Formats: sequence, structure tokens, C-alpha cells
Amino acid sequence: MASRRTSSVLLGTFRAASRRPATTWRQRCCYHSYEYNSPPPFPPAESAILSAALSHVPSYGFTADALRLGARDAGYMDVSTNLLPRGVFDLINYHLVSQRLALKNSVQFPSAGEQGKKLGTGSKVRTLTLARLRANEPIIHRWQEALAIMAQPSYAPASLAELARLADEMWYLAGDESVDSSWYTKRASLSAIYSATEVFMTQDTSKDFIETEKFLDSRLGDVMKIGGFIGALTEWTDYTRHSAVNVLRSKGMRV
Amino acid sequence: MNAHSARALIRGQLLAGGRRAVGSVEREQYRCFSCTVRQAQQQQTPPKTAQNKDGTTHFGFETVAEALKEQKVRGVFSSVASSYDTMNDLMSLGIHRLWKDHFVRNLNPGRNPLTSGPSEQKGWNILDIAGGTGDIAFRMLDHASTINHDAHTKVTVADINPEMLAEGRKRALETPYARSSRLNFIEANAEKLDMIPDSSIDLYTVAFGIRNFTHKEAAIREAYRVLKPGGVFAVLEFSKVNNGLFDAVYKRWSFSAIPLIGQLVAGDRDSYQYLVESIERFPSQTEFRDMIKDAGFLVPGQGWEDLTGGIAAIHKGVKPA
Repeated sequence: MASRRTSSVLLGTFRAASRRPATTWRQRCCYHSYEYNSPPPFPPAESAILSAALSHVPSYGFTADALRLGARDAGYMDVSTNLLPRGVFDLINYHLVSQRLALKNSVQFPSAGEQGKKLGTGSKVRTLTLARLRANEPIIHRWQEALAIMAQPSYAPASLAELARLADEMWYLAGDESVDSSWYTKRASLSAIYSATEVFMTQDTSKDFIETEKFLDSRLGDVMKIGGFIGALTEWTDYTRHSAVNVLRSKGMRV
Repeated sequence: MNAHSARALIRGQLLAGGRRAVGSVEREQYRCFSCTVRQAQQQQTPPKTAQNKDGTTHFGFETVAEALKEQKVRGVFSSVASSYDTMNDLMSLGIHRLWKDHFVRNLNPGRNPLTSGPSEQKGWNILDIAGGTGDIAFRMLDHASTINHDAHTKVTVADINPEMLAEGRKRALETPYARSSRLNFIEANAEKLDMIPDSSIDLYTVAFGIRNFTHKEAAIREAYRVLKPGGVFAVLEFSKVNNGLFDAVYKRWSFSAIPLIGQLVAGDRDSYQYLVESIERFPSQTEFRDMIKDAGFLVPGQGWEDLTGGIAAIHKGVKPA
């Protein structure tokens, strides 16, 4: 009796040890570093089901049917979709996360020396935004369904967080190194522009999404203009304030 | 009438026998309303070990021989079978129906023939353990038929207790499934499901049952054996309340009101005292999630979903394919 118990204890520890690699999936690094090789964002079984399900999205949309077909393709059963606690939103989330992480490999900027003129941060952001929008192309006719699900109250916080992560990733890849308050405004404005353009793209019927590209350019132009206007306004206010103080001082006032 | 009195006699003997066998239980024989509350608060944190070294286990807050627990649990459920539904409604204020509906809707049983196309397998094969009164089984079949238009999904209801099964059979007569092959009842111990072949079940459910098992790990291992690769193990069970204030209110309710309701409505205080004690002894969400993981299941997300602030929780595990 005793020996059996010890053997089962041993078996338990062995099992725990062999399971350890699987649990490291969930460990997250709490800082962003290009030197740190981040672990895959989804455990293997989930990503097998979700990536298979994504291939059914063009014909079945973001629905439970696509998930079920994906599970079957991955060697699981209909019932196994219970592995995804948020159901269809997990499928959308998988698309968002995997496309965000794909950006750093799909977009390569030429280094400064080769091409003569160095690409500015602004045009890098434009290239990255376009690349991310192009990644929606195969499922764009179903994307409104996904937007509707993302807007549901229970999923909205997660969707907005993912949008923020996308904006951050794009600025990071564009080589932005700002450490002042523009860090926030850059990310906020890019999030707004990206989501507006994405909605525009769902209704774009032009060839090769030319209209979407134009829309994006004019939104980026707006931000430049607003940014330039705010910059000029700040400079003018600053100058006027200084001059006013100096005029008052010249009159003998102790300011 | 005759049967009822006989059952009452048996119950009396069982409970008395149990008490006598246990002998020096650290509990007074006489328990008034206030004693129960005090006792509950004194014994808030009973030792966690499920099985002690000398072959004993817990029965509520009592410690009994492992061999006795099964018998005692059987006694409890035999005595509550007839008033089971009324009591559940009174104790949970009707919320248990919402939990069960949510549990079934979330699992989404049934294979929709319109969207899934022709395939060798028709419908799911569901095993509902400790589901004697058929609560979960009827909901599963209703969901499969009306939501997924599936006329093939089968549910096997297994329970250790013949009285509960009799209650379920009686209730099945009021549903369309009574004489169909989609529903059948078997008397079985969840730790030894010898009549069920390996890898034959799509969905294994236990609703408010696993708490009473003598060897929970053995039952989970048995579930792993009977499930097909990719099959789902789903448990609806009482759990731990997350909010401290709400927990205080909930403890007050469960340790004082529930035994009292049991005494007044079902005329059986001891069974309901056992019920609340067994809820208290059941592992927390994380511990139970780890038990499911240790049996080899993959758990979705964090592994559980809290219901009503953690009074109950749904745990799931998926057998890897």
C-alpha cells in the first residue's frame, strides 16, 4: 500500500516536471526588448484550432461554425471549441495578435547607407499602417462582423487594449524614440487614424484599395497640419508672453 | 407510505450507524441554531488533505473512514431525492436554474446538420455523471434539439444513487425523451466506469456532484479515460467567493439558513448540514484547476469561470488530441 502511494507520488512529480515546458507559454516578459525572444502568444492546441479556423473565415465569417470547422481540421471535435473561453472573440483576437506580431517580419526598411536618403519616421509609420491594413484584405468582406463583436461591451476593453498595442508596435518599429508627452499623443492619434481607416476599408470597392490609401494619406496629412498648427500656436503664445513680460519689466514693474 | 417509512428507517440507521462508527467525532450531538454558526466559524479552515494516511477522508467537517463516505453520501442523497428540486430553489433562491442554463448554453451541445455537413458521426455522446434527477440531461437534449436541430445527441445519466435515478426516470416521463434511445440511466460509481469503453464520450459533465466523490483525482482520471481525444470535461460546482464582504454574507446564509430550510422543508437537518460543510471543504478554483491539469487535460484560458461572484464555478478541461 505504502509503496504504491510513493510510486504515485513519484509519478505525480514526474508528470509535473514534464508539464513544465507547457506552462512557460503563459509566462510573459514584463518589458519590451528586441533582444528578448518573446514566447508564442498562444498555446499550441489553441493556435492549431484558431489558425485552421481562420482559413474558414472568408466563407463562414467570424462565427462559431468557422471555429468548429477549424477544430475539425486540427484533429479536434466540435466540442473542443470549449477550449476557447471567449468563443468567436478569441478567433478575432488571434487574427489581431498574429497580424500585429507579423509586422516586424513583413515590413523591412532599407538601412540608411544603401538608398542615399533615409526614410523619415512619418513615412515609416505610413508604410507600417498600410502593411497592417493589407493584412486584413483576405477577410475584409467579413471584417464588419468582427468590428461588431469587438464593440460588444464585454470585449471592448480587450479590443481597445489590442489597438493600443498595435499603435505602440508601429511606432516602435518606425524607430520612434520620443520620451516626452508626444509619446502619448503619437499613439493616440495613430490609433484613431488606424481604426478610422480600417472602417473606411470595409466599404472600399476601389481597385487594390487605392481609395483607402488616399484616405490614410489625408488623415495623416490632417495630423501633420494640426500638429504644425499647434506647434506654431505654442511658439506664438510663448513669444507673445515673453514680450509682454519684457515690456512690463522695461516699465519698471517687478515681474 | 410504506416505502417512505422504510426509507426513513434506513436513513435513520445509516446516519446513526455512521455516527456510531465514527465514534469520537469532535462534535457535540446536540446542535442548535447558534451552535451551528459558531461551529462553522471555528472550523473555517479545516485541514486540506483530502485523503489522510490512515485511509480516512472527510465527510463535511467530520473525518470518516474512506469506505464509509460513499455509503454516507448515498444516505444523504437518498433522503433528499424527493424534495431535491424544491430545496435547491429555496437554498439558492432559484439561481441554480440560471447556473445550469448558462452551463449548458455555454457548452452548446449538439451537432447542427445544416452547417456541419455530412459526416460519419451524428450527434454528441454525452455522459452526465451524478446527474440522477436529469436536470442537466434534459437541458442538454433540449438545447441540442431546439438550438442545433440535432435529433441524434445522446445523454447517459449515471448516478451512484438509485433513489436519485428513480426521481430522474419519473421526471423523464414528462419530457419527449422518456422512451427514445437518446436518454438512458445507469447506476455507476464515477471512479469505476467499467461499462463505458475508452475514448467513447464527447462531453463529460458533473453538475454539483464531484464535491461528494471520495477520490476526486480517481474520478478525473476515469473521465480522461472515457473521453475521446478532444473531448471536454466540464464541471459545475460550488466554489470560493472572491469578495470578502459578500463571502461573510454568503457564509452566514449557508451555515444558518440552509440547514434550517432543510429542517423545515425536507425534515432533514443533517443532510443539509453535510451539504454546506462539503461546499466549504471543496478545493478553491485554482486548486481544482490544477487537479484537472494534473490529470492531463488542457484548460481553457484561466481554467474556470466564476458564477455569482464565485459561489459556483464552471471548470473545463479538454483532452489533448
